[in-house]
Amino acid sequence: MSEDRRHEIQELLEKAGGLVPGAARQVAQQTGIPEADVYGVGSFYHLLARPDAKIRVCTGLSCRMAGADDVLRAAELNDLPVEGCTCLAGCDVAPAVLRDRRVLPSVTVEDVHEAKGEWENLRSAANADDEVWFGAVGPERDDPDTLVLNLMGDPDWSGTAFRRAVEIGADAVVEAIETAGLQGRGGAGFPAHIKWNGTRNQAETTRYVVLNADEGEPGTFKDREVMLRRPDRVLEGLAIAAHAIGATEVYLYLRGEFEVPWTVIEDGIERFAAAGVFGDIKFHLHAGHGAYICGEETALLEALEGKRGMPRLKPPFPVEKGLWGKPTLIHNVETIACVPAIVDRGGDWFKALGRDEAGTKLYCISGDVGRPGTYELPLGVTLDELVEAAGGYVGELKAFSPGGASSGFLPASMREVPLAFRSLGGVGSMLGSAGVVVLNSDADLRDAVMTQLRFFEAESCGQCAPCRIGTRYLAHALSKNIANDTTSGAALQHVADAAWQMNEGSICGLGQAAPLPLTLALEHFPEEFEA
Amino acid sequence: MSDKSTIKLNGREYDFAPGETVLDVAARHDIYIPTLCHDPRLDAVGACRTCLVEIDGWRRLAPACATQLEPGMEIASENERIDRHRQTLLSLYMTDHPTDPAAAEPGAPNELHAMASHYEAPMDWGYMESLRDARPDDRNPYVLFEPDLCILCARCTRYCDEIEGVNAITLAGRASETTISTVDKLSLMDTSCELCGGCIDVCPTGAMGKKMPLVRGDKPERELDKVRTTCNFCGVGCQLDLNVDRDARDGQGRIVKVTSPPVGTTTNDGNLCVKGRFAYDFVHHEDRITTPLIRGEDGELHPASWDEALQAAASGLLAVKDKHGKDSLGFVSSSRCTMEENFLVQKMSRAVFGTNNVHQCAAT
Ligand SMILES: Cc1cc2nc3c(=O)[nH]c(=O)nc-3n(C[C@H](O)[C@H](O)[C@H](O)COP(=O)(O)O)c2cc1C
Ligand code: SF4
Ligand code: SF4
Ligand code: SF4
Ligand code: FES
Repeated sequence: MSEDRRHEIQELLEKAGGLVPGAARQVAQQTGIPEADVYGVGSFYHLLARPDAKIRVCTGLSCRMAGADDVLRAAELNDLPVEGCTCLAGCDVAPAVLRDRRVLPSVTVEDVHEAKGEWENLRSAANADDEVWFGAVGPERDDPDTLVLNLMGDPDWSGTAFRRAVEIGADAVVEAIETAGLQGRGGAGFPAHIKWNGTRNQAETTRYVVLNADEGEPGTFKDREVMLRRPDRVLEGLAIAAHAIGATEVYLYLRGEFEVPWTVIEDGIERFAAAGVFGDIKFHLHAGHGAYICGEETALLEALEGKRGMPRLKPPFPVEKGLWGKPTLIHNVETIACVPAIVDRGGDWFKALGRDEAGTKLYCISGDVGRPGTYELPLGVTLDELVEAAGGYVGELKAFSPGGASSGFLPASMREVPLAFRSLGGVGSMLGSAGVVVLNSDADLRDAVMTQLRFFEAESCGQCAPCRIGTRYLAHALSKNIANDTTSGAALQHVADAAWQMNEGSICGLGQAAPLPLTLALEHFPEEFEA
Repeated sequence: MSDKSTIKLNGREYDFAPGETVLDVAARHDIYIPTLCHDPRLDAVGACRTCLVEIDGWRRLAPACATQLEPGMEIASENERIDRHRQTLLSLYMTDHPTDPAAAEPGAPNELHAMASHYEAPMDWGYMESLRDARPDDRNPYVLFEPDLCILCARCTRYCDEIEGVNAITLAGRASETTISTVDKLSLMDTSCELCGGCIDVCPTGAMGKKMPLVRGDKPERELDKVRTTCNFCGVGCQLDLNVDRDARDGQGRIVKVTSPPVGTTTNDGNLCVKGRFAYDFVHHEDRITTPLIRGEDGELHPASWDEALQAAASGLLAVKDKHGKDSLGFVSSSRCTMEENFLVQKMSRAVFGTNNVHQCAAT
């Protein structure tokens, strides 16, 4: 824990009503942090920087495909304090709309009219009681033998896996993780045991575990569903990780729009605390405030420390210098939620559940399919298998995005490529967060690409030029119709050079991956970019 | 032992000390690596990306300014990949920056322009209007922020934080709207700003610049003569460069502005305060006294030589001592005096006039 009160800046600004005039000065007085710093921090986070917008309509790809543009227009016509926003991790319940900090599922134009111009009154008919809601999941069965996350299973508050972890000891736990071949599910697919060993082998003994629940990659909502349905697994996984690396403080960073999962996780923490299962391990809940980039692990650490969420240079990596400079193990929600089952049933069991790579995987699927939702399937299924589980294609498959906006678009002809880290990497895309979006032959691919480019442009942290300028440059180039430009050869070359530069020159994965939607589409769908 | 602390840069072996960066060693051996966000006084942030180099075994290019050396590293600061990197990066920068040299160089030399032409970066990628906010109503008399020119290197904000310890300005907003701001976009006058002008000095593009009319004339800085001098506002004795437009005032010359000597060359290390940096207007003021004056029998002041003036002062002081005794005299020296001058004042007071009545106005 740091001695100064910088880490409270965002929370205090939220309490002060956001970055309204005078708020930064007030928080500066409360915390002793210079007022310009406080202002700089507040201005970084959309939910703080624009406190007047009380309703935010998702303008992500899946939501736009489901009519978000109409919902946004209706809200504007109804004089609601509304603006568009980037993906709300509700692509399976599109269009998703944010009311203050609560995501409302499947909001319709009628819902907007029903609010009668009062933003507080906005409800989704699909969630009339305005309580905790769930997305669709599959397979629709409670099956702990073949499902690692087993989303339909009842939460288990007994702490059996944690006790077992303590019993067999840290070495055996990490060995099980290694045998399991557990790869990070936040996007990079990095082997988990290397990070566990990296953290616990540091000479510094103050260490932290951090949960990355900032889920913001467009097309992705699995972490939300895990927290809603299996908060027990998330918390128990964190406790096991803390025990294994010798940490007692666990920080959970939930994106600010996750008001609903927050309540579920908070309840879970109380439940476990009341039962006293996890000894001296303490959980600290932190809310994000509207910034996709804070899903990048080092930006997340900056945010936790009360700074602008600008990614750090790596090396050093968080395992060595993480939160407040201390060794830190950061994991995605799904990764950490795999841990209790691995400890319970062994690494070999987990590994055997996968196809191309180890384990099962939560695939998020949205767009033109029958039953959008979160599906736990062997890692390495094909698109067709996934879509079959998700109610089949609606219309004829034209293109798909295999792993969030950062993975770009692939043509129908690549439907056989296993949806796994290695195989998708091999075709110039990535599994990323496994946020699969299906586009049928009605889709306007240019528009889809533009949606992704605008997303990156809006969500760049602005720190480094290749990304800050490059994301905007590509969106400009596309809006001028690249291929039809009279100087088309040169314009295309500039795009290729800018994309190359973004990939080589950017500090973090956002800028490095941001050109993919355009470059992959130009490669696979050149005809879409002719006049 | 010795092979433990060497690296290879562009094929040649160099020694390094623990904690040194790629840039440190390159600079020591006059190997040029371009930088925009780097300032040796500040913590490295590696944000401008101009200094990226290739390190054997690293998948990604690494910022020379922030990458600490490890024994045995093999580094390239020149090759095809790095050439392409520099060119495409600079071309991209220029899509978001005025290309017209007059607009891009309002006074201070524009390091981005110089670098883009040095590396012959293509300038035909098109141009996008800047989305960065200014603070047009800031009524402070000295510092002008022109957002079109800003490349978000954050030298100004880090200077203000790390060197001045003032934290008056900050990066604000995000994405392409990221800009430099104060709390609530207030005037610098309403913040902790001390108007030291350091932010102007460190800015590589002139985005942080001096307000008119202090900058007289339209000449770019490189056409001015720099005259190194010692600031005489206080005893610290900072070195500063008077920038003189030699053609002004019908060839008599005029001080147009003050700039900092390069970092690392003077004891003040390029740092100045508001007086040293901005208070030079008096030099050419018509009321300024430029010769000693002695009050004559007629009650008026008359120009005199230094010898005459010193003679008059000495005889006056001695006359007072003779008539009223030595302790009827007292000496107060100015805070603008240096330590050596203060020493001489007390020496004169005690040894010449025989009194301990001596004080310095800054000594409480
Ligand atoms: C731009 C960007 C956004 C990211 N967003 C997330 C996110 O929302 N959630 C997440 O778990 N990981 C995200 N990541 C990946 C994290 O940086 C990090 O790799 C991950 O949290 C590590 O956990 P894992 O090993 O369990 O995957 C993002 C990475 C980048 C570059
Ligand atoms: S790549 Fe983009 S998001 Fe990442 S550090 Fe650079 S500007 Fe920020
Ligand atoms: S003039 Fe000095 S104190 Fe004021 S903002 Fe600039 S660097 Fe900071
Ligand atoms: S004003 Fe100048 S020093 Fe400050 S960030 Fe912009 S370019 Fe850099
Ligand atoms: S919630 Fe709208 S696209 Fe993801």
